Order: sequence, then structure tokens, then C-alpha cells
Amino acid sequence: MAKRHTPAMERIEKKNAKRKKEYRSTPGREAWKRFKRNPTALVGLVLVCALILVAIFAPLLAPYDYAEQNYGAMLQKPGPGHPFGTDAFGRDIFSRVIYGARYSLLIALFCTLAALFSGGLLGIIAGYFGGTVDTVIMRIMDIFQAIPMIMMAMCIVSVLGNGIPQLVAAVMFCSMPTMARNNRAAILRVRGSDYIEASEAIGVGRVRMIVRHMIPNAVGIMIIFFVGFLAVSIMIMSSMSYIGIGLSAPTPEWGLILNEGKMYMTSAPYMMIFPAMMIMITCFAFNLMGDGLRDAFDPRLK
Amino acid sequence: MENEKNLIEIRNLKKYFNTPRGQLHAVDNVTMDIEKGKTIGVVGESGCGKSTLGKTLMRLHSATSGSVMYKDVDIAAMPLKEFKKNYRADIQMIFQDPYASLDPRMSVLQLVEEPISVNDPKLSKADVEKKAKEMMELVGLAKRLEGSYPHELDGGRRQRIGIARALSLDPQFIVCDEPVSALDVSIQAQILNLLQDLQKERGLTYMFITHDMSVVKHISDDIAVMYLGQLIEKCPADEIFENTIHPYSQALLSAIPIPDLHIKRERMIMKGELTSPINPKPCCRFAARCPFATDKCHSEEPTLREMKPNHQVACHYAEKFMK
Amino acid sequence: MSEKLLDVKNLVVHYETDEEVVEAVNGVSFSLNKGEIMGLVGETGAGKTTTALAIMGLLPDRVANVIEGSIEWEGEDMLKMSKAQMRQVRGKKISMIFQDPMTALNPTIPVGEQIAEVVMLHEKCSRVEAMKRAQDMLAMVGIVPERYKEYPHQFSGGMKQRIVIAIALACEPDLLIADEPTTALDVTIQAQILDMMRNLQKQQGTSIILITHDLGVVAEMCDHCAVMYAGEIVEHGTVEDIFDNPKHPYTKALYESIPSLDKKVDRLHVIQGMVSDPTCLPTYCSFADRCEECTEACKQGDPTTVHLEGEHTVKCFKYCGKE
Repeated sequence: MAKRHTPAMERIEKKNAKRKKEYRSTPGREAWKRFKRNPTALVGLVLVCALILVAIFAPLLAPYDYAEQNYGAMLQKPGPGHPFGTDAFGRDIFSRVIYGARYSLLIALFCTLAALFSGGLLGIIAGYFGGTVDTVIMRIMDIFQAIPMIMMAMCIVSVLGNGIPQLVAAVMFCSMPTMARNNRAAILRVRGSDYIEASEAIGVGRVRMIVRHMIPNAVGIMIIFFVGFLAVSIMIMSSMSYIGIGLSAPTPEWGLILNEGKMYMTSAPYMMIFPAMMIMITCFAFNLMGDGLRDAFDPRLK
Repeated sequence: MENEKNLIEIRNLKKYFNTPRGQLHAVDNVTMDIEKGKTIGVVGESGCGKSTLGKTLMRLHSATSGSVMYKDVDIAAMPLKEFKKNYRADIQMIFQDPYASLDPRMSVLQLVEEPISVNDPKLSKADVEKKAKEMMELVGLAKRLEGSYPHELDGGRRQRIGIARALSLDPQFIVCDEPVSALDVSIQAQILNLLQDLQKERGLTYMFITHDMSVVKHISDDIAVMYLGQLIEKCPADEIFENTIHPYSQALLSAIPIPDLHIKRERMIMKGELTSPINPKPCCRFAARCPFATDKCHSEEPTLREMKPNHQVACHYAEKFMK
Repeated sequence: MSEKLLDVKNLVVHYETDEEVVEAVNGVSFSLNKGEIMGLVGETGAGKTTTALAIMGLLPDRVANVIEGSIEWEGEDMLKMSKAQMRQVRGKKISMIFQDPMTALNPTIPVGEQIAEVVMLHEKCSRVEAMKRAQDMLAMVGIVPERYKEYPHQFSGGMKQRIVIAIALACEPDLLIADEPTTALDVTIQAQILDMMRNLQKQQGTSIILITHDLGVVAEMCDHCAVMYAGEIVEHGTVEDIFDNPKHPYTKALYESIPSLDKKVDRLHVIQGMVSDPTCLPTYCSFADRCEECTEACKQGDPTTVHLEGEHTVKCFKYCGKE
């Protein structure tokens, strides 16, 4: 029914007729609807999904094992047998880059989760309690942040040694301050809203307030930060491996492949181009998705 | 002994906030009685401390000093824990902005259930749901809205959710903080009628905070006018429109545009705007804008005096303005 | 007869998104003479602001769609003008002020410069002259001209709205569209602003379209008044017609639902139901579902606008055939 029928109305009516009747609009569904309508966000999502699939099916996709050395095919240019060429040990770079997705994504995920649990929790505590607690936590975070990331990572690795858990710890410490700051801001924003005061007025207790009201309403912003931090983690991790304080050979981590290729930068640039491109694409994908999520969860924040 | 007439007696209540620029006297030395079963309207311009007063009664802010006697106990001085345990349900609040005061991630039924289950954890899930559904019916929310989320509803319905939440605890006293300012006139009338019906049915006492004089006159028995944190005039609702004494109340009333072409009032246009309530000087706070201000007004703070039965005014020259 | 300045004929504006079509304005027609003040009243979603934005040529390009109608400015259809021509009219001939003064002010530029900028944009004059004009404008709206170097945040809400009005009037427009200019302000400040607008209007002979939901403001300010409901003008006439002799059931119900300052009523009259949803308007009279005087005919078709005596028009079946 309408005052004046227009083509746009017919289009929508057709669309609505197809839709299931029992449709209920929830905040989550509204966010997904906005996300779906955002082409760049979808590109990000598709890229991320593709990367995850590559990581899962690496053994099927990679023609060689990532550590398999072939001295008969050293430093080969990209060609039919080796699409990305081979390195100084004759290892297939294509296979290494594909296996690299596993290591890079998985370690980045762990790093970000670790940062979320440490920094995020600190931020939530600081934001909720405020006052002295807030000041103490945030000043410590300020001190952390004053140290350049790579230097901090180097210090941690030099104390703890090389290895995946040490790497995770290093990246965690690097991103903890920002994580804490962001989560604190998210909680502060929710805490300032009227519905928190209204819940207080009807007698909602502290635990329920945090678990049922604050976190669900801050989770959107937290997811946005989380996805953004995946990109940051990959960057830090690769940088560390690149300067030789990250993972050790023959792990096919992208930064490490870059590191191995830097000696042949002029003669065999492809050794660096492909892993570098992977790092770039991954970060790009996460950032696109993060931006899309931000627009979806909070349309006013644009 | 319990005072039969007054439900709440506020004595010298102060709420100061520390700001970088000094102490903000949001509520300054307010003394008033709130009669059982009546509605007291609190009016004033933005920043006059009327909302802070309501929130201090609710213990959403803790008072700087002064007392609030409720059933012969000082609820402003007791530990917050004790207040929450024994008095939280008795004193409830309806919030101004029905768009912001409901958690966007909860459905209507969940929102109405929350106060019930939180305050009586022993209640079974089914009982909570039953009571919530009763409350929804009471405030006129259709059954089909149970699963809806606040963003799907209009302002009037959201405000009904807010009312249902407050009422579900069977309170004695409800602070209504501008409950209709965000609503359209036709919806505003529905909500005002609902509030009046509920008051009659349940013998509720309201503190009705608003900046809208016509609404406050309609709903209140007594009216308190606030200016920069202070109570400057308190009297029965009819009295204020016929026998306003304080020059500020007069100016406030004359500023209201009336939707009638045949009533022309002499308008008292005040100079300037609200001055800052930060570190106020000891003088009449309205003196800077008052057309009748004298040296005395600029140097001495007037106290609240009873000019007629039930009519109190804080003005040095109250006698002069009395009709 | 005085000169016709603006003539809106059968304007229909829809907002189209992937999800829904909002029928914001459905066949609005009115005209405005030089020097007149017209009030546009209605509740949220009645299409008041959309009508104003259409006149200003400020409808959001991507979603808004003018389905039909014309907006003639001194006999020329603005909807057919090029962007450049439109820019000539907007600002020079028509200005608009919004509810929130902050959206119209740039927080990083001193207010004097912001006024001067508008002057220079529309009049070929030097910077010094423009600055001089800016100071005159500030004085005109009641702000000390010496404050022209200050930034927006240094002014209070009422002051900011004065500055916005100064900017809007800087190049002496023929028409000023004021969209709820005083809604965000306190009544005493509202009285000051309205008073000032009335004086400026008398001095400059500007026509004003005043959008508001407050019938009191209309009674104080306007010569003519159009009542909007669901994107249509349901009643239009001089303020005397609308206030003393309202015909449309919606207008009448609107009066009854406002609490009055003079009469004491126990219960307010209520308009049943909710404001019509502009995404699914009925094919018949939009108000029929809430109307107390609804008949069979009302649900059969849409009434046409009926001319009563003088300029009084009403869009209701009750008056069809009684011309």
C-alpha cells in the first residue's frame, strides 16, 4: 500500500515477497546487513576466507614440501615447475609461501588473542573501575608504548630466546598498550551511556553489568580492533623474522622468507616480491574487513 | 514515628562536582518535602540541577552533604550497599531519552524481565516471565512486541518499556526525568495519561522533572522551581500560575509561547543567559539577570521563606512581588 | 495582492534505499508571499524538514527522489535549475537555519570570519568591508561586535543560534527557512531568539518559513500556518483560521492533546495509535486509522484539498462537496 507507486517500491516488494516471513531484526542482523552492502568489506572478507582456506589446505595446494631442498634447481626464476621460483637451497617458494599462510595466520591469531586477553582485560578493568586503578594501568601502558616496538621485541626475545611461544609473547607485549587503550575507550563509551545508568537504577549488580550489558555492547568495537590487530601482528611478526629475531629456518614464515631472500635482492628479486606481496595482501584484507566491520557495527562512526 | 504526610523529606541537600575550573554546585542546599501520593514537579532551565537532584535521590550520585529522609531513615547517608539492598526497589526512575536508556542488545521481554530477576534471584524463570508479561500489559505493550528490539520501536513504546521496568519493582516513589520531552505531542499525551492512571491505581508518588511548564502544570500537585542548583520557589501548582512571586518564575512563565491567539501576556525578556554554577559568589544567583536586582541582591544570598501556607520563595523582595 | 515569492506545487519526495521507500512528502502545495511568516507544524516524520530541504535543493542526492511537482521561485522552477543557478539562489536569496547550531558553524574558524565569508561569497566586496558587515550583523543579533574574533565553543547554545541566524541573514535573503530554530534551547532563551527574529523580519522584510512542532511558537510568530501529517498538508490557512477555527480532525485533536496553562483538565485527550509509518502509508486518508471522525468514505479513497472561505484549505472528506 502506498500513496504513489514507484518502480523502486515494486522492486522492494518483490524482494520482500521472497524473504521468509519470520524475519526478526536484531542488532547483529542489522550489522550483517550493513556489512553485506559494503563492497570493499566483502572484498576483505573474501580475501581473508581465501587465505584461511589456503592455510588449511596447504598440503594439497603446495606442489612440494616447504622444507624440501633440491640442489638441482637452485635460484630458479618463476616458471612452469616453480611458479614463484626457488631459493638458494632449491626450495619451492610457492610452496613455502602457501605453508607460510599457516604459520603467519595461526601465530598472528595467537598473538592477537594473547594481546586481547592481557591488554584487553587491563583496558576493561581500567575503563570500568576508573580512578586510581585506571591511572596506574594506563600509565604503565604509556611506559610500554614509549619503547619502540621492535626494540621491545628484541629485548624480550633476547631474554626469552627464539621460538614460537617467545614470539607470541613479544608481539603480545608490543600490541598490549594499544589494545588496552582501545578496549578502555570502548568500555568507557558504553559506560557513559544512559542504559548503564538505567540498569544501575533498577539494581543490576556489578558482574551482571559487565557481562550482560557492557561487554555485549562493546563487543562490536572489540571485534573491529581484533581484526585490525591481526594485521598489526602479522606486520610485527614478519618484521621480527626479517631482522632475524623471530622464527628460525626452515619455518616458512613470510618474514623469514623475506630475510632469506634479501641476500639475492638484486639477482633474484622474486624471492622477496612474492612473500612481501602475501604480507601486503593479508594486511590489506584484514584492514578492509576491519573497516567494513566498523561501518557495520557503528554506522555513526564513519 | 513515621510521618504520615510526607514520603520524602529533603534537608539541605548538596551535590557538588569537582571540575577542572572549580567546584560545580549542581544542587545547592535544597530543602523540600514530598507528599505521599502526590506529584511534585521540578522545573528549571538546562543546567539548573533538576536532573542531578533526581539522581541524587536515586543514589546514582552520592550527596555531598544533607539528608534525604525516607520512612524516617536517611537514605542519603547510609552505605550504598545497604541502600541497594533495602531501598533500591522503593525508589525508581524513568529516564529522559527512551532511545538511549534501553540496552540495544536486549529484547523487550528481556528488558522488562531484568529488574524482576535481578532483585529477586529466587524467583523461577516462569514466574519472572509471568510477572514481566503482566507489566507489559499494564503499560500497554502488545504481546507481539515481546521479541522486538528497542531500535524497532517508536519513542512512545520505548518509554512504556522504561515505565514497565521501573514499575516492576513495585516502587513507592518514582523520579520521572523528562519522560516526555523526546516524544511527539500526540504520544506525550498517551504517556502522561498512563503515568496518571498508574499513580491513581497504585498510590505512587512522583517527582516529575521537566522544562515544559504546561506539562508540569498538568501533572503536578506542587511545583518547585530551580535556578542554578537552588530551589527558588515552591508552591501548589495552581498557585504558581496565578500568584507567581519570584521574578525568575515570572520570567519563565511569561516566556512560554501559548498556542492561543487571544491570550497576550506581557513578556518579561531576561537579559543574558544562565550564569555558571561553578564557585558561585554569595549572592542571589538570579541577580545578574533580574530586572529588579538591588545591591542587596548582589551581596546577600536570600533564604527560602514561607510567604503563604505551602508557598515558599527565596527572594529578598518577595513581599513586593506578592499580589 | 502582494508579490508571490515561492510557489510549491504538488511536491512528492521519496527516500529510496535497498530496503524500503519512505514516502516523506506526498503532494505538498503552498505559496508564500513577500514578507510573510509561514509556520509548518507537524510531528516527527510529517515531512516538514524534507519539504524545506527540497526548497533549499539540499536533499541527499543518493537516496532522495523528487517524484513529481515543482518549486517555483519568483516564477522559475528551481527543480529544473542547474547546480550553478541553484547555488546563486541558495544563500543569496534563500537561507536556512537548523535545530543544532553546531552543525552550521565551523569550530575552527572565528565567528566573525564565518559571517564575513558568507558576505564575500555573495557580494563583491573587500575583506575589510565584509569584516565590518560581520560586526554589524553580530550587533544586530545582540552579540557584542568585539567578540567577532572568538571561536564557536566560546559561546553558549543560545548565542550560537544567534550567530547562525546572523550568518543566514548576512546577505539579506528574501526567504529564511528556520528548521526548529529554538527546539534545543531553554524557554527564556527561546523567547529572546523569537523576539529577535521577529524584529529582524520587520526591519528586513524577509519571508520566513518556520518549521516547528510547537503550536505556541506558531501562534506567536506566524501569519500563516500549514499543519502537516504523513507528508501532506492537512490544513492550511491564516493563523486565525487554524487557531480559532480548526477544521481538520488532526488539527483539533492536536490542540486537545497539549496540556494547557489556563484550563485544568484531568485527563488529556489522546490521539489513538502511533504516528503513521511513512514506509507503508495507506492508499486512503493517512489519518483515517487514528481519526475519531473516520467514516466509510475515509477508508475508500484519499480526500482532495477543499477550499473553505478565504485561504483556509483542508484535506478531509468531511468538507468535500461543501465548497
